[in-house]
Amino acid sequence: MIGVSFFRILRAAGNNFLRNVWLSIATTVIMTITLLIVMFLFFANVFGLEVINNIQQKIDLSATFMTEASEEQMSKVVRNMEQRPDVRAVQFVSSDEALKIFRERNIDKPYIEESLAELGKNPLPASMFIVATAPEYYEDIARYLGDDQFGEVIEEVSYEDSRDMIQRLISIISTIKNAGFIITIVFAGLVILIMFNTVRLAIYSFREEIDIMHLVGASRWFIRGPFVIESMLVAILSVIITTGIIYPLLNGIAPELQRYFLEGYAQQEGFNIYAYAVQEWPTVLGLQLAVALGLAIISSLIAIQRYLNS
Amino acid sequence: MITFNKISKVYSKESAALHDVSLKIPTGDFVSIVGQSGAGKSTMLKLISAQERPSEGMIVIDGWDITKIRRWQIPHLRRQIGVVFQDFKLLPKRTAFENIAFAMEVGGAPTREVRATVPHILKLVNLAERANAYPDELSGGEKQRIAIARALAYKPQILIADEPTGNLDALHSWDIVQLLIKINKLGTTVLLATHNDEIVNALKKRVVTLNDGKVVSDKKSGTYKL
Ligand SMILES: Nc1ncnc2c1ncn2[C@@H]1O[C@H](COP(=O)(O)OP(=O)(O)O)[C@@H](O)[C@H]1O
Ligand SMILES: [Mg+2]
Repeated sequence: MIGVSFFRILRAAGNNFLRNVWLSIATTVIMTITLLIVMFLFFANVFGLEVINNIQQKIDLSATFMTEASEEQMSKVVRNMEQRPDVRAVQFVSSDEALKIFRERNIDKPYIEESLAELGKNPLPASMFIVATAPEYYEDIARYLGDDQFGEVIEEVSYEDSRDMIQRLISIISTIKNAGFIITIVFAGLVILIMFNTVRLAIYSFREEIDIMHLVGASRWFIRGPFVIESMLVAILSVIITTGIIYPLLNGIAPELQRYFLEGYAQQEGFNIYAYAVQEWPTVLGLQLAVALGLAIISSLIAIQRYLNS
Repeated sequence: MITFNKISKVYSKESAALHDVSLKIPTGDFVSIVGQSGAGKSTMLKLISAQERPSEGMIVIDGWDITKIRRWQIPHLRRQIGVVFQDFKLLPKRTAFENIAFAMEVGGAPTREVRATVPHILKLVNLAERANAYPDELSGGEKQRIAIARALAYKPQILIADEPTGNLDALHSWDIVQLLIKINKLGTTVLLATHNDEIVNALKKRVVTLNDGKVVSDKKSGTYKL
């Protein structure tokens, strides 16, 4: 009996949708736009954090050693650095290793090999790369290494201060988030308003049926169900449309995004927003469903409460 | 058994639609409720189907105190009470058959049962051959018979009819009354609100007369004079 009722309620919901088909379409469109905005915020946030993360990983401090510096002197400095609490890791690259890496990188450029042979000796100095425990320590560490006490051992300290850039990125992201949040709220309000009126109209065009339903003792669920379910159908339709838009879109722009924002930073496999969306599909779908169904249920319940209680 | 115990109903402060009405209607009775327009007949029927709530007193139907019935319980009550109105209240875009089926469907009856029961009820009200007609294509009397058929869809214990002949000529009115008698003979308690004295007098059944919201007479085989 519950099965039969559910099927009938579903059919009635479909009828509602068709009876005011233009309003239903308008609701679906606005709902879809809202979901697209929510999705944009979601992915902008994920991507922004990924970019920041990459830049943070990329901050490194390197120091090249004097060619005259002895093994002993250099390893003393390395050990010295390793003992600092603000240093997470130090990687020492001897001049032989540096040459090896250099050769590997330029394996496709024969003229490099030629000029190396011409030179007759290894032109690359030994160096060390330092990873701090937090970005704000780099300045300190760099200053320390630039100190006179290392003057005979260290040739040059180089580090790129990307804190500014990160700070800017974070503020851009938070601006996007705030603006997006406001836009989302505006659109959510629009959805509720339009949906509310859709349901109100549906209730109006079914008022005779509703009257009779009341009189013959139809259950409350049977009377209200179709209106709530119609809204839920609109919500689900919007989720389907939104998903149909975002996945191809992400697939299309993922390589561009990666090239533009992440090139050169990513050491291993680069971050691909489309791959992320595919992998995290339950989150993507769940977020959309939560927003869409939430708005649908709220607005239809308010309309029912107002127009269906007599 | 329907029991009204000291029932008052006040819509607005100035006047009471019903005042201190006490009444017992045994199961299977046929009761005509008569009185001038505004006497409180409709109010009395609405209290039984919980379309209105009493301001004072207690209403018990088959041992169920519905005085303070909860909203969610009302559907259960309504399925035991068939209601018929002067203006039929049929859905214009549905056929006779569909109007009856609709009432059964929204009550959750399985499709198989609906298909089996509706022709039965149509036969009971003598409209089997009009099953596929729309309300527009039916006469007033036929419309009212469809409305009664719909009220019977749940096999209610009680049928309340509020001026069911109000829009009908004498001949059709008599048709409807015959039908109500038939339904009563099948065991359903029938409450008929009317101010048609000819019908009441011909019925020779119990008559409750209301005047200004009070019961002024209650006779076993009563008559009614305007
Ligand atoms: N919903 C209502 N609001 C206010 N007054 C009402 C309402 N329904 C009925 N009344 C008043 O209650 C009294 C009885 O009405 P009603 O029961 O409809 O009488 P009847 O059916 O005998 O004509 C009348 O005075 C009428 O005006
Ligand atoms: Mg009346």
